[in-house]
Amino acid sequence: MSDFTRQEMMAIATGREIRDGELAIFGVGLSMLAGYFAQENHAPNLRTMTEGGVYGATPVGGLPWGIECNRISSNATCFSSAVDALGFLVASGRCDVGVIGAAQVDKFGNVNTTGIWDGEIGPTFRPPKTRLPGAGGANDIACGAKRFIIMVTHEPKRFAEKVTYISSPGYLEGGDARARHGFVGSGPSAIITTLGILRPEAGTNEFILDGWFPFSCIDEIKANTGWALKVSPTAQVIPEPTAAELANLRKVDQTGALRKQ
Amino acid sequence: MSQSKLISLAEAARRYSWDGMQYASGAALPVGSDAIIFGRELLRQGRRDLHAVFHCNSQQLNLLAAAGVVSKAECGFSALEVFGFANGLRRAVESGQLALEDYSNLAMPLRLLGGALNWPFVPATVNIGSDIQDRSAFAPDEYPAKAKIPAVTDPFTGRQIGAFSVLQPDVAAIHVTLADVSGNSILLGTEWSRVELSRAAKKVVIIADAIVDQGCIRQYPNLVRIPDIIVEAVVHWPFAAWPQSSPGMYDADEDHMKFMNKALATEQGTADYIRDFVTPYQDVDSYLDMIGRDKLAKLSDSSTSFLLDPYRQWILETTP
Repeated sequence: MSDFTRQEMMAIATGREIRDGELAIFGVGLSMLAGYFAQENHAPNLRTMTEGGVYGATPVGGLPWGIECNRISSNATCFSSAVDALGFLVASGRCDVGVIGAAQVDKFGNVNTTGIWDGEIGPTFRPPKTRLPGAGGANDIACGAKRFIIMVTHEPKRFAEKVTYISSPGYLEGGDARARHGFVGSGPSAIITTLGILRPEAGTNEFILDGWFPFSCIDEIKANTGWALKVSPTAQVIPEPTAAELANLRKVDQTGALRKQ
Repeated sequence: MSQSKLISLAEAARRYSWDGMQYASGAALPVGSDAIIFGRELLRQGRRDLHAVFHCNSQQLNLLAAAGVVSKAECGFSALEVFGFANGLRRAVESGQLALEDYSNLAMPLRLLGGALNWPFVPATVNIGSDIQDRSAFAPDEYPAKAKIPAVTDPFTGRQIGAFSVLQPDVAAIHVTLADVSGNSILLGTEWSRVELSRAAKKVVIIADAIVDQGCIRQYPNLVRIPDIIVEAVVHWPFAAWPQSSPGMYDADEDHMKFMNKALATEQGTADYIRDFVTPYQDVDSYLDMIGRDKLAKLSDSSTSFLLDPYRQWILETTP
């Protein structure tokens, strides 16, 4: 087994979900590396954009500090705007796939990136104990992209039965709850973690274990999930990164953001 | 040649800011172009009780919130991207000193677009069905919130959607790369929502990294995204977005981004930061000295510098 980090495995597994030719939008940070890895590795005709309105660019000099950072602005083919990227191309229903991060995710794929409260918020809204970044463009991607992938470190505190605050909607209360709001996007297709991959169960849309990374196992994943995680009958070990995949990821991740554990 | 609207930074802040105003900036993301120098000036002039409308938080809102001069804010994103949480804003929110109303990164420019068009509301197909719709920091006792993103019926399909309120901020300070003296502005890098903001705000103050001869504007009129006819005043201030970046001009000052955010995490650190980086300079020269001339040279050596090439011949070396 070659030498790679859990974060690199997560980024490569996320990249494998993205297909050549798709219109794809990436958020800031690790999800951006996963997306550009896909383009470098197996999806050369991927049509990429950041929600900032930077199209057709690849990072130069390492992980960009932001979706509008100069590191992603030195080889763009179009500088556009938020209404163009998140509106005309995502809220419209044209975008095939988005990748978002999460501070907390629940069994129906709802994402909290707004705050951590001590217990429930209660009927009166009150400031969180720890304020987080807010929804950013993730809410818009979760509502509008045809499908989206959630990338998140697998820890019990992050995997909750029910998130305290829904910043970006997954399947809400499960089943066909999304239909109530008429979202053009069909919801999260996978939660890719540092330990494995969860996918929605047909019908209930509850996330169940679909596979584990070679360095992990079902028991470790269950122990790190805050709900009684079901295991798909077809769950299996996910192949480790090939040498080519690792080389392509590291070409994109020049500053080694994914190698810091 | 149209009339010059060039005025000093101090004069612009004196004329176009007041306590309790709805102040908009930050229309170019947390690491990129923002009129941060205008926020420093608001602090120098003692402005307080601001209602901040920032599409995204930037180091400007982080600083103003840390200094305790913002009572209300509306944002789509409230951190500093890969630089982490915005410690000053975070401290003000967690302590209850500042009410932060959450939207998303599409909701904010749509609300500005609605304000620009003077629409009564904007149909919302995002932010609905989540706690962004149901929870309001401005009306904390309402659950679900009634006046934030109320449900409306699409008259054509009968489907339930949401309604966004529109934004028409009192004043917007908008950072641009290049402007002529009357305010025609060229923005290198993503526009983000500066175009919508410039049309939504009641008054627009342009903060330009460089002033160009109007010949530049007449050569590239299709690249002018903010025209002089909606601009009140122009301020020329190099490195106006520091420590953030301005594509074509300078990179983000990574060390200062981290240093500043660390300082804003505490009240004492904020006071020290204001003492050392808000109050000391008297003019552009002493501001640039404060950053350090070696640092400026390093930041200017950007992989994006070539973006400025077509415009360089028009940049005026001395401000007219």
